[in-house]
Amino acid sequence: MTYFLYPGCSLEAGGSHYQVSVEAVAKALGLTLKEIADWNCCGASIHYVGGTELQTKTLNARNLALAQNQGGYDIIAPCSSCYIQMIKTAHEFEEDPKLAEELNQILAEGGLNYTGGVKVRHVLDVLYNDLGVERLAAAVKKPLTGLKVASYYGCQTTRPYGEYDSVENPHTMDEILEALGAEVVPFEHKAKCCGSGIFFTEMETCAPLAGGILGEAEERGADMIVTACPMCQMNLEIYQPRLNKMLGTEYDMPVVFVTQLMALAFGGDFKKDAALDRNIVSAAEVLKKSAA
Amino acid sequence: MATKAYDKSFREEVYQNVDSGEDVKLCMQCGVCGITCPLRGEMTHGPRQLWSLIRAGKREEVMNSPDIMLCTSCYSCKVRCPRGVKVIDVMHGLAHYALEQGIVPRKETAKFGKAFWDSIYKTGRVDETEVPMRYTMMAGPIHGIFNMLEMMDIGRALLAHKRMKFKIGPGLPPSKKIRGMKGLKKMLDKAKSMSPGKEG
Amino acid sequence: MDKNQACYLCKGCGLGEALDFENLEEVLGEAGISEVKTHDALCSPEGVALIQGDVDGGVNAMLIGACSSRVKNDEFNFGSEVIVERASLREQVLYCSEAEYEGEEEAGEDRQMLAADYLRMSAVKLTKSNVPVPFQLELEPETALLVVGGGVAGINAALAGAKTGVQVYLVEKEAALGGFLGKMAKLAPETPPYQELEDTGLTELVAQVEADDKIKVYTGTTVDKTEGAPGNFTITLSGGDSFRCGAIVQATGWLPYEPEKLAEELAYGSNPGIITNVDMEAKAKAGDLGGLNGVAFIQCAGSRDQNHLPYCSAVCCTVSLKQAMMVKEANPEAAVYVIYKDIRTPGQSEEVYREAQRKGVVFIRRDEDYPKISESGGKLAIETMDMTLNDTVEIDELDMVVLATGLKPNNPKVVDAPLVALGMDQEAAKKLAAESKAQCDDWSVLNLQYRQGPNLPTLKYAYPDSHFICFPYETRRTGIYAAGTVRRPMRVSQAVEDATGAALKAIQAAHAAAEGVAVHPRSGDMSFPEFAMQRCTQCKRCTEECPFGAINEDEKANPLPNPTRCRRCGVCMGACPERIISFKNYSVDMIGSMIKSIDVPEEDEEKPRVIVLACENDALPAIDMAARKGHKWSPYIRFIPVRCLGSVNLVWIADALSSGIDGVMLFGCRHGEDYQCHFIKGSELANVRMSKISETLDRLVLESDRVRVEEISFNEVDRVPEIIAEFMETIEEVGPNPYKGF
Repeated sequence: MTYFLYPGCSLEAGGSHYQVSVEAVAKALGLTLKEIADWNCCGASIHYVGGTELQTKTLNARNLALAQNQGGYDIIAPCSSCYIQMIKTAHEFEEDPKLAEELNQILAEGGLNYTGGVKVRHVLDVLYNDLGVERLAAAVKKPLTGLKVASYYGCQTTRPYGEYDSVENPHTMDEILEALGAEVVPFEHKAKCCGSGIFFTEMETCAPLAGGILGEAEERGADMIVTACPMCQMNLEIYQPRLNKMLGTEYDMPVVFVTQLMALAFGGDFKKDAALDRNIVSAAEVLKKSAA
Repeated sequence: MATKAYDKSFREEVYQNVDSGEDVKLCMQCGVCGITCPLRGEMTHGPRQLWSLIRAGKREEVMNSPDIMLCTSCYSCKVRCPRGVKVIDVMHGLAHYALEQGIVPRKETAKFGKAFWDSIYKTGRVDETEVPMRYTMMAGPIHGIFNMLEMMDIGRALLAHKRMKFKIGPGLPPSKKIRGMKGLKKMLDKAKSMSPGKEG
Repeated sequence: MDKNQACYLCKGCGLGEALDFENLEEVLGEAGISEVKTHDALCSPEGVALIQGDVDGGVNAMLIGACSSRVKNDEFNFGSEVIVERASLREQVLYCSEAEYEGEEEAGEDRQMLAADYLRMSAVKLTKSNVPVPFQLELEPETALLVVGGGVAGINAALAGAKTGVQVYLVEKEAALGGFLGKMAKLAPETPPYQELEDTGLTELVAQVEADDKIKVYTGTTVDKTEGAPGNFTITLSGGDSFRCGAIVQATGWLPYEPEKLAEELAYGSNPGIITNVDMEAKAKAGDLGGLNGVAFIQCAGSRDQNHLPYCSAVCCTVSLKQAMMVKEANPEAAVYVIYKDIRTPGQSEEVYREAQRKGVVFIRRDEDYPKISESGGKLAIETMDMTLNDTVEIDELDMVVLATGLKPNNPKVVDAPLVALGMDQEAAKKLAAESKAQCDDWSVLNLQYRQGPNLPTLKYAYPDSHFICFPYETRRTGIYAAGTVRRPMRVSQAVEDATGAALKAIQAAHAAAEGVAVHPRSGDMSFPEFAMQRCTQCKRCTEECPFGAINEDEKANPLPNPTRCRRCGVCMGACPERIISFKNYSVDMIGSMIKSIDVPEEDEEKPRVIVLACENDALPAIDMAARKGHKWSPYIRFIPVRCLGSVNLVWIADALSSGIDGVMLFGCRHGEDYQCHFIKGSELANVRMSKISETLDRLVLESDRVRVEEISFNEVDRVPEIIAEFMETIEEVGPNPYKGF
């Protein structure tokens, strides 16, 4: 199976461990990932400050057009923000003929054209639906037995379209983690917001949101928070010391990508495949607990 | 109690010039968006009341409301709105519209967002080292340096964990552009000219 | 008819193991039924064949001791000439009683006695039952349909009736057909995607009526007199024409709420720009909506307001949406506001709401207080609370303010004394009823020549009374159906549906009258009340209390029954102090004898006896379901099904208590405003009558605690054992009936 990988800006930098682990997981499962050549930024959550809605759709339409020209495979967008921006454009392109026409008028300025039909997929969607938990379980060589995880989806992983999972109470990642042998703790904050794109600039305001997520994970006895969104990973992890200062807490909660745990459980290397050395709040200690 | 007189000019302005602005018409004031918002406690009006203020023609109150730029883009309101109002798109549209008129509902987010968009407009991508640096420097040279020093712990940690490129300052070294940047720029300009309120 | 009686006892479902059948056969023998057969599964083809064989051999009256009479009706139906009585040994004996008590030797004795009593009662019932002979009208039954009211409901009722092939008379008081539909400019969107205003379609409807040779139209005409009964009504029209018909649909529509009454609250009459939705429709119809730049609609103008119409008219919101869309269509730049408490858009009207919003209509939610309307600079202005902004807001530059007023039925208001009696003494209730009757004395739609008055009785707000969930078009005058807005506020598409339903019901009623059978809820019942007139004392109770006005009176106050108006509830039988009213298969003597057949043990046996007279519409199914659910209750209880609590004659209470029975309960439907009684007034009348029972009990020197009325609805299954347990405790406290052994 061949897919496009749309890494987005995040996976090139702050979420580089996501990219490494996604590639390792794909390799272990026999998926071929091709990067969309010369892709551009999706606009992310903060696009509206500088750009109009149509400009943001233009950014995504260009990526869709490139994907179509380069083979039309389904696009995996591991970053939730990229996923949502791209799928939003893809959806509205199909639903609104007027918009489709406008976008093609715009794309023509750069010599491109898009006829629709390219599918945008979240990494969880592909893992859960194209492969299925049984196949994932079969690939496990070092089960994560004894590891208690809080499965945290955040917002843009399933919202707003609920394409492959419930928008209010998602479950796909829970099942994937269980297939790896981990114990998934009940987690009411699983689809609550961490502060997302304005966390960095409105940290005082958003601190209680992130604090609530870290707090519940701790209360539930989770060893770590597992996520599939680089924005969530970053907000919840690297700002923990600041959050602790602001909220008077002492969180020391590893926040890892689901693909990092998969790479590890599939027998991959801690560093080379799982890139777990790139987590600032180290998960090494708690991972020793499980057989992995 | 203050009496507010209804004025239809502002709502027409919003319907015509703001991205997704026409969705405001469809609100039936159930308030689900308001109670759904994770930052409801931080908002003075919240979406429902903003929509009512728009319909009532309260330009000042709406355009100067910091609420219009406090959206985290969590999409909860959008999925729960029984009328299918694209609540967050309207919020974003309003913020964009205010900024274009020189009104800055929330300074920090506006600065960061500008640096973000500038990066896209110049290189086609967002350089996660460059953008925060430019953002911090927007406070002016002196404050900028202080702000940058304040962010140093985070930068260092990211750098040490191979999650950031090394730069000694904004543009040093410069970020790479995508190959099709010229075309993208043309497209973005064209898109802007076709956006609501900018036609013709 | 010579009765050839037999009894069949079933041993299936566990009955065989639980009961001593030899003993039961002896009991039956003592009760006069010597021919008794048992079978392991009576409802099996073999069991049914066994009975059928006997029917073929001449058995024409049988007692089946098996399961509840509510089940296996197809299996145990041997034609209308064979009387079948059912003793519910399974539900009322086996399922609800304990097999044995801990530490007691006489296991199952109470259960056996229970079964024996049910067989004794059923045997009496069988003996006293006769095969009903359907009532036949003297004249050839008429099936023609009269439709009164030529609006959208009336026209559709007439068309639906004509389609079935019956002759239809359509009477309209105005000079032309159409009713309010003829005054409407457009209809709110009725078809997907609910975005375009629609034509009324009246021209086409009228053309269809005119082209139909089964429909005779009278315009400019009213009904002077309606005499007779279903299957045989005689109608006299204002023009002098007269004809017979079998059934009637009243589709007389609605009247707008009087806006003059809103002069104080909403300044109606103070400015020509303040108009009602009816005026607005007329303007739209006249194409007079040009030049409007600012229009506001005020919803609930005199609706959902205790000082005006307390109810929601259900259509005003959609009407305002429509009219707002019309204004927008005439001038897209116009500022249009709808000031509302709640937008209520039943059915698909929510889509109309959306469409109005898309067109730019602005909606403002107000509180309970009416907006203040004032004049400023030749324009109108409104000040109102905006609930979303939590502030008072002002809307000015308005050319027009439309008051969305509600609908009143075009029907005289008739209130019934027993129905308003709840929480009120009877005298006060009667006074209220008299006042309401006086109010409508001056006009009537049908001018019924009925003992109980010329109009359809109403429940509230002049809407005809009916069991609105089960029998929506029903009125309390059999064979007369209400359709459209005279029945409840509704929009055009609903009125069309209503009209079709009512027309078909009316035709069904005419056919039922011809066949001499009842309409619902006792559909197909061939029995009807017969009066032993020589013993009548002209007390008028039957003529006054019949919920359906079935009984007229002659000059000497003798009751004149109209069996085709009758619903066979037996309320008259319950009312009659002389006990002269009876059905072929249901009578005061029959139930009284059943009660007396119960074997009442001596006081020292400490086995009290309690009878429950249970309504067979709701209480009996609840009892059956409770038993099937596994609830257990005292084995000293004996249920006796009655057609309606209203048919309970007080003499039965006396019969029970004087034969040593310790307590009597009545299980009936809820009464009062949200009544559930299938016969409308039956359970209410039972309550009124029972409130007077203390005199009877005093005469017998008995405690009033021994008699209790309980309301029980169909779904209150779990309350059945609770109520029984509680009553049994009371009976224990009161002690044994001193009449035991007399």
